[in-house]
Amino acid sequence: ETTLRSSDTHPDGYPTVVAVERMGEMLEERSEGRLCIEVFHSAQLGEEKDTIEQTQFGVIDMNRVSLGPFNNIIEETQVPSLPYIFRSVEHMHKVMDGPVGQQILDAFGDHDLVGLAFYDGGSRSFYNSEKPITSMADMEGMKFRVMQSDMFVDMVSALGANATPMPYGEVYSGIQTGVIDGAENNWPSYDSSGHFEVAKYYTMDEHLIVPEVLVMSRTAFDGLSAEDQELVRQAAKDSVPVMRELWAAREAESEAKVREAGVEIVTDIDKTPFIEAMVPVYEKYVTSPVLQQMVQDIQATE
Amino acid sequence: MQDRMKSIAEATGLLARAALWLAGIGLVLMTALIAAQVFWRYILNDSIIWTEPASVMIMGWFIFLGAAVGIREGYHLSFDVLLYVLPDTVKKILHSVSDLAVGGFGVGMIWYGWQLAAKTAGNTLPSLGISGAFDFAPIIGGGALVVLFSIERILRRAAGLHTARFGEEPLEDG
Amino acid sequence: MELYVLFGTFVFLLLIGTPVAFCLGVASFATVIYLDLPPVVVFQRLNSGVSVFALMAIPFFIYAGDLMVRGDIARRLVALAGAFVGHLRGGLGQVNVLSSVMFGGVSGSAAADASAVGGLMVPQMKARGYDVDYAVNITVVSSIIALLLPPSHNMIIYSIAAGGRISIADLFTAGIVPGLLLALVLMIASWWVAVRKGYPVQAFEGFGRIGHYFVSALPGLVLVAIIFGGVRSGIFTASESSNIAVVYALLVTFFVYRSLSWHDFVEATFAAVRTTAMVLMVIGCAASFGWLLAFLKVPASMVTLLQNVSDNPIVILLLLNVVLLILGTFMDMSPLIIITTPIFLPVAVAFGIDPVHFGVILILNLGIGLCTPPVGAVLFVGCAVGRIPIWDAVRTIWPFYGAAFAVLMLVTYIPALSLWLPAQFR
Ligand code: NA
Ligand code: NA
Repeated sequence: ETTLRSSDTHPDGYPTVVAVERMGEMLEERSEGRLCIEVFHSAQLGEEKDTIEQTQFGVIDMNRVSLGPFNNIIEETQVPSLPYIFRSVEHMHKVMDGPVGQQILDAFGDHDLVGLAFYDGGSRSFYNSEKPITSMADMEGMKFRVMQSDMFVDMVSALGANATPMPYGEVYSGIQTGVIDGAENNWPSYDSSGHFEVAKYYTMDEHLIVPEVLVMSRTAFDGLSAEDQELVRQAAKDSVPVMRELWAAREAESEAKVREAGVEIVTDIDKTPFIEAMVPVYEKYVTSPVLQQMVQDIQATE
Repeated sequence: MQDRMKSIAEATGLLARAALWLAGIGLVLMTALIAAQVFWRYILNDSIIWTEPASVMIMGWFIFLGAAVGIREGYHLSFDVLLYVLPDTVKKILHSVSDLAVGGFGVGMIWYGWQLAAKTAGNTLPSLGISGAFDFAPIIGGGALVVLFSIERILRRAAGLHTARFGEEPLEDG
Repeated sequence: MELYVLFGTFVFLLLIGTPVAFCLGVASFATVIYLDLPPVVVFQRLNSGVSVFALMAIPFFIYAGDLMVRGDIARRLVALAGAFVGHLRGGLGQVNVLSSVMFGGVSGSAAADASAVGGLMVPQMKARGYDVDYAVNITVVSSIIALLLPPSHNMIIYSIAAGGRISIADLFTAGIVPGLLLALVLMIASWWVAVRKGYPVQAFEGFGRIGHYFVSALPGLVLVAIIFGGVRSGIFTASESSNIAVVYALLVTFFVYRSLSWHDFVEATFAAVRTTAMVLMVIGCAASFGWLLAFLKVPASMVTLLQNVSDNPIVILLLLNVVLLILGTFMDMSPLIIITTPIFLPVAVAFGIDPVHFGVILILNLGIGLCTPPVGAVLFVGCAVGRIPIWDAVRTIWPFYGAAFAVLMLVTYIPALSLWLPAQFR
């Protein structure tokens, strides 16, 4: 009767939260009640950076986090966080299910963690309150809030716009009053944050398709029998299709809702100049031979 | 005993004064950084991205330094109702128990702050480009002063000198 | 058992006079050791708890308030308020309330308001034939207005305690109507008491004097306009506005009034460091405490417990109010916001109460707690400026408690009082 405590920053009912709960049900059944999972949703145990440290120290047992906070800890996680690295969500699924995904999961091993599975984080696009963005020229001089990460800041600069740091909770009023012109996010967050009410132009440039990851504490993992370790790994793998289905449904629901609200969505956009503008960003961040090889492998994946 | 304690108190008084000045400079620096952030963004239409994490780190320093000085000067909020009805000797013992608890927490700040710094030393802080260990430097530094000032309080009390509490006049020798 | 260790250690340390911040910290430390978890988490929560950008508004607003008291801005605001309502029955009582409205519009601290307004008004009222307890009572209760009117760093603390997902701008706007309503009801209460006691009337000084006071107080009033206008027009965010308040207060007191010496500046800086280090240390340690509450699933069991008592939101709100009022009479505001928000907000939301509305209820409720013994920081400040024992003040404070409680009930049961104005701005 071991209860694995798992953290998530998303609210109750969110696809990632439900997926880990489902994983817990599978685990409980397959282990005949020896193992179960308790999910602490809504960042009850802290923000992602904090819960990663808690998992490393073995305070909590599992954690569903984005790759962003790992970028400055584990080099390999930078690759899927590169702008325009994946051609589509399907491409991302193929890569993360294959050898490159396994290589990244293995990299967690050097940091007191065990990488279990990749989840979806959707594709992130720019939205703003000013005008429909149809080309890079439209972005010139606009202020966009991005997550506090050097790579995302450089990405926005490379597109000719200004990256403006701001706490997530202030973005709504920031857009409304004009401190910033917009931000970038996936459909579900664009919907749940209410940002679509104040930033009515959404451009499907899909600059980031960053998967999220489910990790386990090395201490907790080593405390399990070999048999139970295998059960955990398998249940995590089996939760991925569940998660993808839930995610797709959630995305469709959010997209329908914001369309209903009269958001102007730009889908017909030539991404080539955006992708070409990323050359200096790749030069700056894809430095080691390992990373260069990974980028090549991803690009070679059909 | 009292005389030696007084000369120790002079040294810790100077240390507290220095910490207070450092914290005050930190507050002024924070003011300047955030004002610059607004100025750059609104007037120059260009964003500085490191002002936010830098001022958050300065805030950490001034909170932990200020909180440590607060132990010496006795300006932390506390709740004294029970103590009014107890005899002086019991009161003194309980005050020392309390200082011991605070000092123990200070030891935790140093010890576990160090562990966190060691674990994150290999990370790089976004926008600042420095080691993740710097995030925990304030809690370690503040913890050291918390321990020092808690010990001073216990020694002062043992030597029959005054220790400050919330709502009382501050120490004169600082 | 873990909960006994957590709360037992906390209460024991509180009773032996340990600073509240360390009561929270040491109790968490002890519980984590008892649970055999790595204690590193306690200090990580402490460190992350204070490393939040939005928290910066607290030192800035407190700093700005200190600069304004030392730099003569506060006195000029009081003089202006006096010119407006000094001629009404018990006029200085009304002045006191109105001064809190003006001061509250630039500061978010009830204790700062009580010391700034009380320090000026109580001696004046005494000299003109008012009873000291009356003067102190009004000073104390009307300073709650400063908590409700923007800027209010307690609203920011609440937003952070709620996970940083409630808009600070909405919270600021939501406090305006309840704050003005409280001012109105307190003015009525002080008029009523003044009539019964036969307090004097001050002569109306004429519109010319009002103009004079207005010009003199203008820089203080302009700050309100700058904060509001600046946030609304997108020059800076709600939390950055606190920084602008400091810069502006420095400019006005150094260059316009020339009332702030280098020594005053250093002292104001040290005072702000002392106050905010104390408050933010409580917030940091409460983050450890709150983490344990979440880890031990306390909020979830609270919801179940209350659901078993009643499923009627009206009853639940009344229960929450009573619990908060009781807690507020024993503990101070910022630790209580931090400790109770993670427990009570999910309960309130589960019963369909808007988080912004609940924030206003929480702040008003805990604000009343600041004015009640045994632990009422604002009551202590009021008694200190009036130089009267706490008992003397509390004996005659009932009409004012009654007024504040009536407003609390109105704010609790009429959500529109809090939610209408933010909706207009959205
Ligand atoms: Na205020
Ligand atoms: Na007042």
